[in-house]
Amino acid sequence: MTAFLTGVGLTPFGRQPGRDSLDWQCTAAGMALDDAGLGPDRVGAVIAGYSTVANHLMPANLAAERLGIRPDVAFGMSVGGATGLAMVAQAVALVRSAAAEHVLVVAGENRASGQARTTSTTVLAQVGHAAYEVPLGGNVPAYYALLASRYLWSHGLDDGALAALPVQMREHAVGTAGAHFREPITVADVLASRPVAEPLRLLDCCPVSDGGAAFVISRAPVSERSLQIAGVGQAHRHQHLSELDPDDTGASRAAGIALGEAGMDLGGVHVWGIYDSFSITVAMIVEELGLAPPGCAGAYAQAGAFQADGRYPLNTHGGLLSYGHSGVAGGMAHLAEVAGQLRGERGVAQVRNCEAGYVHADGGVLSAHVGVVLRKASRS
Amino acid sequence: MSRTQGDWTQGCARLLIAVCADCGNNWYLPKDRCPRCGSARQSSVQPSGEGRCVAVTLLHVTGEPGGAPLSLALVRLDEGPVVMGRVDGDLAPGDPARVHLLPSGTGTTLLPSFSRKAVT
Ligand SMILES: [Zn+2]
Repeated sequence: MTAFLTGVGLTPFGRQPGRDSLDWQCTAAGMALDDAGLGPDRVGAVIAGYSTVANHLMPANLAAERLGIRPDVAFGMSVGGATGLAMVAQAVALVRSAAAEHVLVVAGENRASGQARTTSTTVLAQVGHAAYEVPLGGNVPAYYALLASRYLWSHGLDDGALAALPVQMREHAVGTAGAHFREPITVADVLASRPVAEPLRLLDCCPVSDGGAAFVISRAPVSERSLQIAGVGQAHRHQHLSELDPDDTGASRAAGIALGEAGMDLGGVHVWGIYDSFSITVAMIVEELGLAPPGCAGAYAQAGAFQADGRYPLNTHGGLLSYGHSGVAGGMAHLAEVAGQLRGERGVAQVRNCEAGYVHADGGVLSAHVGVVLRKASRS
Repeated sequence: MSRTQGDWTQGCARLLIAVCADCGNNWYLPKDRCPRCGSARQSSVQPSGEGRCVAVTLLHVTGEPGGAPLSLALVRLDEGPVVMGRVDGDLAPGDPARVHLLPSGTGTTLLPSFSRKAVT
């Protein structure tokens, strides 16, 4: 029993005042339903991601009512940055169990224009342990900076070793309509940007954006554009940075389960969407997955391995680092992009001969991992 | 409870780690059960306070006015667990480090702070 991605909705990301979280969610949801060619009466379940701005008790019911949907099942989810793919995993379980024919998965928020940057940073600092980490004064960039420091030291690398990753993400975003940042940058620009939490500099960090994303997941294809969700895998090894094992964060475990379910290995994947909240995030995940040897993700980026015509076409929309990060919707944009690639609809950014894609998201401090394998439905 | 009785989070000038009474596994952040063997039997012990620094960051942006710059480190204690703390003086990854419980810059709360241990 498999499941299909039948509808995809992704709004532009950026600083776009004037809409609230629910507006962004419903805009994206409308796009996804139109893409699938389904009316609200066909949706049997609604799953909604949290918004740090709206902070609503019942986000799925709120969105369903606004969209004119009266689903059999509705619930909100929060697994940090992994929420989008974790919602897809639950949607797959619902359609496999026949609890729903079509499931709407939605997220969005006005994180850039709806709250002060310091509020956003303070809210997200709760990723730290309330008693043992938060009182020290750190925040999410500081926690990832500690990962970056450990990574650079343990591999004997200098501070510029990760800079080619944000440069590559920006190169992808230059040609992507709707990306938050589209001006090309260089390694020198990354190294000259202001330090946020050393060794991470401003251009090593994703922006905070307004925007939304939504998917429809169904029991059966609705058109030739429907894609098979061939495998889903998760791993949750720790919550806090102090407990993280840098050699086994859970990334590889989640990918192994997803690829195993799809009956594939890494070699069968033609396009990749990997969570890139910071340069170090994507470096650690691609290395744990085995795309690049330990310590070599930056060098691989420098050599062009992650370009659309490279060995591992990666985040060809620009990723969180350049398409932008609108909370839960940020990690859904990677899946929307991989879907666009597999449908052959990415124009000048199209990856050739693309049959299967792998998308990976993490939440917290590499705490929660979800991997999804997408495949052209014709192969099933 | 997510604080260990009698450690720095309760105003006492010491770190404590937990040791599983059944398998000997140890850890820093409070847990009800041993993640290796599932045992609920554990005791708190005071570690040597020495270890190796594995990561350092200098933070330029914090949520609190006047909070930056601020330097934080991760230190792997000789006993095994990793502890996050403030940095006191010069400290780099790879350095041997020792913990002191120092008042925070803005208050009287005692925070674990790591300094480079003189090599004798
Ligand atoms: Zn034990």
